Amino acid sequence: MNVATAPIVAAAPLNAAPLLEIENYSGSFRARNGDLTPVLYNVSLQLKTGVITAVVGETGSGKTLVASSILGIQPATFVRTSGRILLGGVDLVSLDEKGLRKIRGGQISMVFQDARAALNPMFTVGRQLADVHQRLHGSGKAEAMEAAVDAIRRVHIPEPARRARQYPHEFSGGMAQRAMIAMAALICEPQLLILDEPTTGLDVTIQSEIMDLILELSRSRGLTTCLITHDLGVVAATCEEVVVMNAGRVVETGSAETIFTAAKDGYTRKLLAASQLGEMAA
Amino acid sequence: MIVEGRPILQARNLRKLFPVGRGMLFAVDGVDLDIMAGQTLALVGESGSGKSTVGRCLVRLIEPTSGEVFLDGRSILGLNSVLLARQYRRVQMVFQDPNASLNPRMTVRQTLIEPLRLHLKMNRRTREARARELVEMVGLTTAHLDRYPNELSGGQRQRVGIARAVAVEPDVVILDEPTSSLDVSVRGQILDLLMDLQAKLNLAYLFISHDLQVVRHVSHRVAVMYLGGIVEIGPTAKVFSEPKHPYTRALLSAAPVAKWGVKRTRLRLSGEISSPIDLPDTCRLVGRCPFQQPVCSEARPKLVDIDQDHAVACPIVLAKTEGPPPFVGLLATPSVTAGAHPATLTQ
Ligand SMILES: Nc1ncnc2c1ncn2[C@@H]1O[C@H](COP(=O)(O)OP(=O)(O)OP(=O)(O)O)[C@@H](O)[C@H]1O
Ligand SMILES: Nc1ncnc2c1ncn2[C@@H]1O[C@H](COP(=O)(O)OP(=O)(O)OP(=O)(O)O)[C@@H](O)[C@H]1O
Ligand SMILES: [Mg+2]
Ligand SMILES: [Mg+2]
Repeated sequence: MNVATAPIVAAAPLNAAPLLEIENYSGSFRARNGDLTPVLYNVSLQLKTGVITAVVGETGSGKTLVASSILGIQPATFVRTSGRILLGGVDLVSLDEKGLRKIRGGQISMVFQDARAALNPMFTVGRQLADVHQRLHGSGKAEAMEAAVDAIRRVHIPEPARRARQYPHEFSGGMAQRAMIAMAALICEPQLLILDEPTTGLDVTIQSEIMDLILELSRSRGLTTCLITHDLGVVAATCEEVVVMNAGRVVETGSAETIFTAAKDGYTRKLLAASQLGEMAA
Repeated sequence: MIVEGRPILQARNLRKLFPVGRGMLFAVDGVDLDIMAGQTLALVGESGSGKSTVGRCLVRLIEPTSGEVFLDGRSILGLNSVLLARQYRRVQMVFQDPNASLNPRMTVRQTLIEPLRLHLKMNRRTREARARELVEMVGLTTAHLDRYPNELSGGQRQRVGIARAVAVEPDVVILDEPTSSLDVSVRGQILDLLMDLQAKLNLAYLFISHDLQVVRHVSHRVAVMYLGGIVEIGPTAKVFSEPKHPYTRALLSAAPVAKWGVKRTRLRLSGEISSPIDLPDTCRLVGRCPFQQPVCSEARPKLVDIDQDHAVACPIVLAKTEGPPPFVGLLATPSVTAGAHPATLTQ
């Protein structure tokens, strides 16, 4: 699909139907001695179609764990004790590995917190993107490589054709991160894109360009995005909905405007205050 | 340029070229740095501009192509491996991706204890006590000591990296994006810890970060990199309140603000980032800079003092101090109008 020529539709209304719904999801980690330590407590949240939803909160609060549960790639020692994860009415938790594999990549794709580690050091970056393109879209070799180079260009990596021939270790941290964003957002063309701290290693100029790209994709293609981030500046600039997590619980959800201007929860307010002290004058 | 204090780690004309295809990639191209004892020098700049490469050369994780690195005035590039190992404890690095730098087969305890045994020759009991002290210092608990890296969250891993670096009481720590996966409250806590340690142990930091808010909070001086070179360097308060180089201005004006409905005037650079391969001998912003003049293509601008402790590599900015200011009317007001005092982050 050629995104540039797709019709630009208005941002999805905030009452849009949810693409993905998490209901009362709870779980624990099983220690080596068999003990269960609870980490998630009745997590409920919705990702509305075509909307960018931010998930913010304390480190260790369970953000990555919730996101990886959506994809069925939570650690093996994690035990779900309750809840469902519904994608178009189907409970992802009930799917077997084969069913999940169908959904991963094509319908839901994710950029991991540590992007470089997600790239295979043995293959060039272009080859990795092209392989995924071939697998998901059944494209030919040349066509897939062309798509790979184009995706690298669209995440603002200069000289995309040359960069495509390089190995991950030849990329800077920020470039590796952008290559993974290219893979997840542009090569996979998913319905739901999960970004786990995608812009932390990027300088602010490139960071805003990447967020512009995500915005454009949600407008033009109706992409639904879940953005896990510590950067409330990015949230204020690009997200429509916000989910706040603390210590394994969702403590508040709402539109970005409500969260920033009229947060109810004490932890949310503390988080906002902490990010605004030391704030640069606007 | 005059910088107050005693330089502990210095780089002179540091260059690192990577061969690519038929050309050379100029990752770092002529960088001079003075990291002062007990002070923090921040290194900011475009992704791919060479910041991590500078850090890796300084700890000699990779060999620079040319140039010198001095620790306490002594060249460390000439040292043989035995002498280097002895010096090595004094310079530590916290890596950009904690995932790749922590050994997946070692528990947090093993990770922390290893350098204590190796460098400080501590006995078993002291090591254990020190490991406990370290995890608590970075806001983790002793329960985390038995975890493997894949059993920690991103932010927890990052803190283990910091604990490991400060464990051996170094003189200089290179911090490559040390707080990027931490939420604001833990970030504040870690920054406070780093500043505490600095005061207590007279630690020096090279603080590589994209987070301008953090940089402004923790650093005494800041160096701005673009395509392998430093384009501006000076006291943090000055660079943030009166950025001079067009790249610095563009960078500062792009910083997002954690407030609702804030509209900002941005100075945007046009076009693509230039290629770092076989760089021409011109200003590296040529083709992207809104203030470009023919003089910019004549030679690569050198850093020139515009003040006692503030230097800029831009002929247009330098001309400004003589002729009429060329920026008037052209320039978007930089969003950062910092007061003289560094901001305070609290929890
Ligand atoms: N394999 C594991 N075994 C035991 N505990 C784990 C494991 N993986 C994660 N945890 C714990 O689960 C909690 C939630 O982790 P998660 O990675 O979801 O946090 P997060 O909100 O993404 O944090 P961050 O912002 O630091 O990335 C953390 O306290 C972490 O220590
Ligand atoms: N081993 C290598 N082989 C070839 N090129 C490399 C290698 N390591 C780094 N480079 C290149 O050197 C340049 C500088 O990379 P470096 O990692 O220092 O950037 P950086 O400023 O730290 O960027 P970021 O902010 O994205 O982490 C980049 O163009 C990168 O692709
Ligand atoms: Mg995480
Ligand atoms: Mg880097």
